[in-house]
Amino acid sequence: MGKHVVGRAGDLPPGARRIVEAEGRSIGVFNVHGTYYALRNTCPHQAAPLCLGAIKGMTMPSKPGEYIWARDGEIVRCPWHGWEFDITTGRSIFNPHKMRVKTYEVTVESAADELPDEVETFPVTVEDGFVVLHV
Amino acid sequence: MTITEPITTAPVLAREGLVDCDVHVSPRTIDEIKSYLAMPWRDRYNGGGRGLFGNPVHGARLDSTPPGGGPTGSDPDFLRKQLVDEYGHAYCIILPRAFCNLHPDPDFGTAVAAAFNDWLADTWLSKYNHDGVFKGSITVNVQDPIAAAREIERWAGHPHFVQVMTDSGARAPFGQRQFYPIYEACERHGLRFAIHPGTDGMGINIQPSPGYPTHYIEWHTGLSFAFQSHLVSFLTEGVFERFPGFGVTLTEGGVSWLPALMWRLDAEWKALRSEVPWVTKAPSAYLRDHVRLSSQPLENPDNPKHLLQIFEMMDAEHILMFASDYPHWDFDSPTHAFPKLPEAMHRRIFSENAREWYNLP
Repeated sequence: MGKHVVGRAGDLPPGARRIVEAEGRSIGVFNVHGTYYALRNTCPHQAAPLCLGAIKGMTMPSKPGEYIWARDGEIVRCPWHGWEFDITTGRSIFNPHKMRVKTYEVTVESAADELPDEVETFPVTVEDGFVVLHV
Repeated sequence: MTITEPITTAPVLAREGLVDCDVHVSPRTIDEIKSYLAMPWRDRYNGGGRGLFGNPVHGARLDSTPPGGGPTGSDPDFLRKQLVDEYGHAYCIILPRAFCNLHPDPDFGTAVAAAFNDWLADTWLSKYNHDGVFKGSITVNVQDPIAAAREIERWAGHPHFVQVMTDSGARAPFGQRQFYPIYEACERHGLRFAIHPGTDGMGINIQPSPGYPTHYIEWHTGLSFAFQSHLVSFLTEGVFERFPGFGVTLTEGGVSWLPALMWRLDAEWKALRSEVPWVTKAPSAYLRDHVRLSSQPLENPDNPKHLLQIFEMMDAEHILMFASDYPHWDFDSPTHAFPKLPEAMHRRIFSENAREWYNLP
């Protein structure tokens, strides 16, 4: 398991995403309302680049004829077939138990000595730490 | 309209790889089509799709927009990279979307069809086609069958047009006699007749369900309704008896409904054959010689064995042809849409069936 610096926290504000290559895998890192999440950038359906899809809310389960729009910014829709996935869990909306995409831990770290060498040239402040992906 | 210049195209060369029977390309701008339209049609044409039932999520793969801009399927280099090179396509069967047969004015519909054919011939079938990977479909306006037959004559002998195409949207089932000039022209020139979803219930066409569905999900699920109606019509009207060299490509109309519909029709025929005495064998027995289905959007049951059983029931090894529907949202990946197939069946569905059907090297 390795640590991979995705970028500065300030470069990945709420609502933003970044696609990175880590250990041979394409992974999408998302900032959802100030918390970071990471998903494998491969849709479990037909292997489309899932993390390039639109970041949306969703219509919540409701009574017939009723529309409840919620969870803005927490749902990514596959760019091919439009399947909805919860960015915060990697689980699909239509079948969260069986249809899901792999998730990875993301942390924000300010201490440069725990990070790989190549990032030590960056100045580090507590206010604008590094977003680190754990693969 | 007559051809004013000799046709210059890429040579027809044998190519290795799979055959994709449903690929959509678009002009970069409406002006590309307008440039082939004479007045007064040039002023009247404003592009336009089917008008209703837009996909509420997205209509095309979001990653299929060309990097340099323009509509999806408008950049040949990007299409080659994302489709031909990615999956090893030998041939793409191209079906442009002219939506010409919803217009009340048949002359306008016929003019739009002709403009799309001129445009396709000048671009994707020649200028963009140095290696011959692209094979085209002649768009016809079925609302004027005589004019449609003339349009087929205009392109007969072109090395890269392999079929004639229309939308499934119609005012009558396609087996009826008013359409025969089209089928006669197809048969005479060895061109298949492809039906592709679109314009059902739009403009002057009739919706093949009881009234209009409310939602896109209903409409899209029901795309196969028109195909089932047209197929039963072809078979019972005796079109394949009248035109023994004629063949229909059912494109994007669904797959798994076929066995049950044929069981039903064959059973009816046993009792009611006397009503249609020109149907001289069980209706399903005409399929292998006269009908092909393209695979996308392939139904995907939770248990893949069930789909393989349906393939066996419907003789998929001989009548099913792979299609991706690139760049549309419900694209079927050549590497992920199918369950694992026996090697011989895979080869037939992904390549040999289409090569035989379209006479491709």
